[in-house]
Amino acid sequence: MKPEPEAWRALQRHASDQLAPDFAARVLRAARGPSDASWAALRAQGAAQIRPGFAARVLQAARRIPGSPSLADQFVLSMGTAAVCVLLFLLFQAGMARLEDDRNLESWQQIADQAQDDDSVV
Amino acid sequence: MESSSTSELAELVRRAQRGDEAAQRELILAYQHRVAGFVYAMTNRSDYVEDLSQQVFIKMVRAIDRLQAPAQFESWLFRLARNTCIDQLRRQKLRRIFLPFGEEHENIPEPPGAVDSEELDALRHALAQLRPQDRALLALVQEGRSHAEIAAVLATSVAAVKARLHRAREHLRKHYQPEHET
Repeated sequence: MKPEPEAWRALQRHASDQLAPDFAARVLRAARGPSDASWAALRAQGAAQIRPGFAARVLQAARRIPGSPSLADQFVLSMGTAAVCVLLFLLFQAGMARLEDDRNLESWQQIADQAQDDDSVV
Repeated sequence: MESSSTSELAELVRRAQRGDEAAQRELILAYQHRVAGFVYAMTNRSDYVEDLSQQVFIKMVRAIDRLQAPAQFESWLFRLARNTCIDQLRRQKLRRIFLPFGEEHENIPEPPGAVDSEELDALRHALAQLRPQDRALLALVQEGRSHAEIAAVLATSVAAVKARLHRAREHLRKHYQPEHET
């Protein structure tokens, strides 16, 4: 036997010894992706987490926790909020207008007093 | 046979819409395991399954009277499940950003081997590498939803669903290594 072919065969043997016994099956599994059986096992695993009495607990919780407000409720709440905002705005405006009037009256009063003083001097 | 079960389901949904508690219970019993499987595929956390499934069915009970087409109940239910899981994953992500050192147990997915077979672990590992939207897509296909139904759930076109599904399957295959060599 020539040493070179013998060395090649030894190399191949060594390389093939590194492969797992089910190498071909693993390659095929990886190439094809997860099988339907794996998916089914995954779903079964999830389903197994549901404890007995689940439906009763859901219905009880659905009754206990208050539900989300209806559209009508949301509309009423929005209208109420808008009305309060408008009222506050109008009150603020009225207050500001009154302050401005008072300031104007005061300055006119000063001008009028000044004019009266000037007339009396003349 | 198929059409009679569809009409039976539609009738059950109509009764549930009228507030019939027995019908609501029957719907929960009929779908609890499928929804739980879907939630598990989406979150990869067995401790979330019951809580999130409960949230899905509570939403179902509360909103079923607003379902326009009783025949589309299944698509509608899985849309609720998908949205509930994605909301949960978003909240989890936000919590991870704002509380990086708190509640550490919340951030750790179940380790491989915690479940059972090598293939199942590989599938869970591969799913965990995908975006939640892609996970939902693959899980909806596994639930038997058609491309048209998925397009309706995601509010997109059938062509877009096919393209996204193709990419999601490619990613899944890329990360699917039963031996966990990575």
